[in-house]
Amino acid sequence: MSLVTHLSRFLILLSCIFLISCSKDPIREITVDPYDTTTKPAEYGKGVFVINEGNYNWGNASVTFVDYTTGIATQNIFTKENGRNLGDVAQSMKIINGKGYIVVNNSYIIEIVDIQTFKSIQTIKGFPSPRHIGVINSKKAYVSNLKKGISILNLVTNEITGTILIEGWTENLVLCDKFMFVTCIGEYREPSSKRHQWIAVLDTESDQVVDTLPCGKEPIGMVMDKNNKIWVLCSGGYDFYERPSLMRINPSNRAIEEVIPFQASQRVPGKLTINTAGDTLYFLNGGIFRMPIQSETIPANPWIPSNGRLLYGLSVHPVNRTVFVSDALDYVQNGVVYQYDPNGVLIRQFTVGRIPGSFCFTPLTQ
Amino acid sequence: MRYFLFIFLPLGWGFTAFTQNLSDTLKLPEFEVKSGYISGNQGFKREKFDSLLLLKHPEANLSDILSKNSLIFIKSYGNGSLASPSFRGTTAQHTQVEWNGINLNSPMLGQIDLSQIPVSQFDEIEILYGATGISRTSGAFGGVINLTTQPDWNKRLKIKLSQTIGSFDTYTTNLSVLAGNQSFQSQTKGEYSTSLNDFLYYNDYLKSNVRQQNASFLQAGLTQELFWKIKDHHLISGKFWYNFSDRNLPPTVTDYDLDHQEKQKEEALRAVLEYKYVDRKYNLMVKTCLVDEWMNYRLDSTIDNTHQYYSWINRVRFSWFGIKNLTIKPGIDFTRDWVRSDAYDGIKTRNTTSLFAEFNWNISHKLSSSLVIRQEVIDDKFLPIIPALGVEYQPVTNVDWKITFNAARNYRYPTLNDLYWSITGNPDLKPENNYSLEFGTLWNHRSKNGKFSVEPSLSGYYTWIYDMITWSPVEGSSLWKPENIDEVRARGIETGLDLHVEQWGILMDWTSRYAFTRSTYEKAGSEYDNKIGKQLIYVPVHNLNSALTLEKWRFFIQYNFSYISARYTGKDNLSMMPGYTLSDILAGKNFNYRDIVLSLQGEIDNLFNLDYQSVTNRPMPGINYRLTLKITFDKPSGK
Repeated sequence: MSLVTHLSRFLILLSCIFLISCSKDPIREITVDPYDTTTKPAEYGKGVFVINEGNYNWGNASVTFVDYTTGIATQNIFTKENGRNLGDVAQSMKIINGKGYIVVNNSYIIEIVDIQTFKSIQTIKGFPSPRHIGVINSKKAYVSNLKKGISILNLVTNEITGTILIEGWTENLVLCDKFMFVTCIGEYREPSSKRHQWIAVLDTESDQVVDTLPCGKEPIGMVMDKNNKIWVLCSGGYDFYERPSLMRINPSNRAIEEVIPFQASQRVPGKLTINTAGDTLYFLNGGIFRMPIQSETIPANPWIPSNGRLLYGLSVHPVNRTVFVSDALDYVQNGVVYQYDPNGVLIRQFTVGRIPGSFCFTPLTQ
Repeated sequence: MRYFLFIFLPLGWGFTAFTQNLSDTLKLPEFEVKSGYISGNQGFKREKFDSLLLLKHPEANLSDILSKNSLIFIKSYGNGSLASPSFRGTTAQHTQVEWNGINLNSPMLGQIDLSQIPVSQFDEIEILYGATGISRTSGAFGGVINLTTQPDWNKRLKIKLSQTIGSFDTYTTNLSVLAGNQSFQSQTKGEYSTSLNDFLYYNDYLKSNVRQQNASFLQAGLTQELFWKIKDHHLISGKFWYNFSDRNLPPTVTDYDLDHQEKQKEEALRAVLEYKYVDRKYNLMVKTCLVDEWMNYRLDSTIDNTHQYYSWINRVRFSWFGIKNLTIKPGIDFTRDWVRSDAYDGIKTRNTTSLFAEFNWNISHKLSSSLVIRQEVIDDKFLPIIPALGVEYQPVTNVDWKITFNAARNYRYPTLNDLYWSITGNPDLKPENNYSLEFGTLWNHRSKNGKFSVEPSLSGYYTWIYDMITWSPVEGSSLWKPENIDEVRARGIETGLDLHVEQWGILMDWTSRYAFTRSTYEKAGSEYDNKIGKQLIYVPVHNLNSALTLEKWRFFIQYNFSYISARYTGKDNLSMMPGYTLSDILAGKNFNYRDIVLSLQGEIDNLFNLDYQSVTNRPMPGINYRLTLKITFDKPSGK
C-alpha cells in the first residue's frame, strides 16, 4: 500500500474524530429510570415524596414521587420539573403553608417547591448545613443545623431572620406550647467521647435558651406522644460509645420521667417516629421496632426484621397507618422502599433514588 | 527528531540485560524507544513509553501523561486534584506505582495520587500489565507502573532549564544538571510549580459561569542521583527524591457559594542505596530504601488530621546463568511499614518478608517461558504461594512476531487502613484472591532502512477477584467498614497500533491504543442487591487514545485524541457520567546552536472547549493553553 493511500485513509479517520469531538453537550451525570415512566404525573397530588439523600459530595440528591392511585414511582421529579439537580444530601421535607420545604443539607439551602407542580418557588441560602424544620406557627420556624446554631426562619418572607447560638450539631425540634425542645448532639466532627450532648429548651418568643436537660449520647430522635410527653432516642453514638436509650420527658415540668436502656448491642438505633394516634413508637435498630408508649422495656425482637437489608428511612403514614421503610443497600445504587400495612404485611415495594432517607406525605392522603 | 536519546538494550527487569546496560550503552540520536514486550518475563505483557513523551511534557504530572497516552483509566477529581489510576477493570488499590523499585503506594491507603508525581523527576515509564507485576510485588492485579531513572555514561555535562507558563496562572520551572564521566555520573533535577487554577466553568446550580475557587496548588520536587561504576563489574548508586506539595482542595459544584476551606499538605522523601555486582555467570543486587511520607489534611476549622508513615524496604536479588538457556533469579525482600495516624489508635507497624524466585527458560529458539513464584510472610502470617507462568512463542524465525500466554494466581493483603482504621478497621479481613489468564500477540515490522515501522498488538485477559475488600456503610451509623464482600470478574481486550513513517524528510509517528473492559460484580450483598452482572463504577467499557506526530525542520506538531466511554456512578448501572472525547494539540520548534538547543513549544488542551466532568460534581477546565521555553546545554564525551 502506498504511503499516499496510508495518509489519505488516516486523514479520513482524523476528520471523523474531529466530528465526534465537536459535540458540545456538557458532560454531566445522567440517571436512568428503573421503571419505564416516560410520562410523569400531571400533578403530584396524592402520594408520598421519598427524599433520597444522595451521596455526600456527589450532588445527586433527588425526590421520588409515589402516586397512591396508580402506584407508579416517578424518579428525580425535582430535576424533571426544574431542569437542574436538587443538590447535595437532601435531608428532609416538610409541607408548610401549602408549600414544600426541602432541606438540602450539604448545599446549605432550603428549596421551596409548589407541591402540585414541584416547580421551585424559591431557594433560601445561608444555613450552616441545615437538618430539619420545626414550625412554630404559620409565620415562624426554627431550622436545626449540623454546623452551628438554630436558624430562625420567617415563613412569610422566607428569609433567615436570625440565629440562636448553640455550639455544634442540633437535630430534632419538637414544639410544646411556646417552647421548642431541641436535641443537641455536640461537635459533629468529633468522636462521641468528645461530644457534649444535651436537650435545649428554647422560648420561641424571645428566641432564647431557657433551660437545658441532660441526655444520653447522640440524641438523634424526638417525638411527642398522645399524653404530651416527649420521647428522645439516644443512639449511644455512631461509634458505639455507650448503650442506647429511650428517654421520656414531661415537658411541662421538664422532668425526666423514665430512661429505658437498650440491650447492649453492636447496633445504632435511629429514625424514631410515632403514629398519628400518638400511642406507638417506631424506630430502626436493624429491623423495624414497634413499641407501645406504656412499655417499660425495649422489645427484644424486631416487629419486621431487616433480612439483610440496610434499613435507613422510616415513617408511618398519618392516616392509613401503613409503614414506609427504605433500604439504602450499599449506598452506591438506587434504594428500595417497602410499604407495610399496620399488621406488618408487605403491601408493595418500589425502587427509588440513591440513599432514601425520609418521606413526606402529601396533604391529600389515602 | 533532534533530541539526543539513549537507550539501554534491552532493559529487562532482572539482570540478564544488566551486563549490556553497563557496557553496551548505545547512543542513537534518532532512535526512539518503542513500546512492546521486553525480554525477561517471557509470556507477560510489559510496555515501555517513548522517552520523548516525557521530554515533551516537563510540566506534566503522571496523571496527565497516563490519561492521554495509556490504557490506564485515571479517575480525576479535577485539575491538580486527586487522580487515581485503574486498569484492566480493577481498582486503584490494584495498581502499584514504583519508583526505581520502591513502592510508592501508601501502605495506609494502598494507592497513590498520580497528580502528586511530576514526570520531570524520572526518565522512563514502564507498564507491567496484570500478572507481570508478580515479579515485583503481590496484589497488583491491574498491574504495575514503574518509573525509572537511568545514568548516561556518555554524558560530560548536560544542563536543562525550562519554564512553562499556562492558563489559570500556572507556572512550572524545571532545572536539571547531569554531569560525570565514564565511571561516575550525577543527576540533579528540580521542579517548582504553582497554579492559581481558577478556571471558569458553568455551574449548573447557579446557572452561570463561575471561577473555580480554593483550587490553587504549589508543588516542588528535588531529585539527586549518583552512579558509580567500577571496572564494569560494580555499580553503586544512591538516589534521593524529595517532594513537597501544598494544595487547596476545591469544593464541589453544589458547594459553590460557601467559604470553603479545605487543604492538604504532603511531604515525601524517598531514598535508595543500591549495589550491583555483574559477572558473566551471575549478578547480585542489594538495595535498601527509606520512604518517609507525611500528610496533613484540614477542613474548615473542624478537621486537622495528620498521617505519617515510614517504609524501610530491602531487596536482595541474585541471578545465575550457569546453565545454558536458563536463568534462575532467587530473591528476598523485607519491608517494614511504620504508621502514625490520627485515624488509628496508636502506632501501627507491619513487616512483610517476601521470598521470590524467577526462572527464565529458553526451551528452543522459538519457545521460551518464565515462572515466578512468590511467598509472602506478613507479620508472621504465611500467605499462600503466588505462582505465575508465562510462555512465549515466536512462530517464524527472523520475524518479530510473538504469541504469549500466561496464567497466575495473586493475593492482595488488606491495607493498614482496612485493618486499623479507628473503630471500623477490621482485623479479621482475609487477603483478596485473584486468578488470571492472558494471551497476547505482537508483531513488530521495521523496514531495513528504518524508515517504516509498524507494530500492531493485541491482548486479552480474563480475571476473577474473590473476597474483594469493599468499605460498606454500617447500619444505623455514619461509619463505613471494610469487608471481604465483593466478587469481581474482569475481562477485556487491549489493542495497539504504532506506526512510524519517514518520507520526504517528514517523520510521522502515529500511536493508538484501545481497551475494551468488562468488569462486573458477581456477588450480591443482599437478595435485593441489583449489582450482579453490572459494570464496576468508574470503569469505562471503552478507552481509546491516539497521538499523531509530524516532524520536519526541527519543527513538530502533535495531535492527541482520547475517548472515554460512559462510567457508571451506581452499582446498579442506573446512573452514569456520559462518555466524552478530548483533543489536545502541541507544536514546537528546536533551534540548535553548537551545544545549545533552544526549544519553544505551545500546547492547547481541551481544544474543543468541552464542558465536562470526569467525576460527578467536580468541574474540569475548558480550553487552556501552555507555553514552554527550554534551553539545553549538552556536551557529550564524544565531542
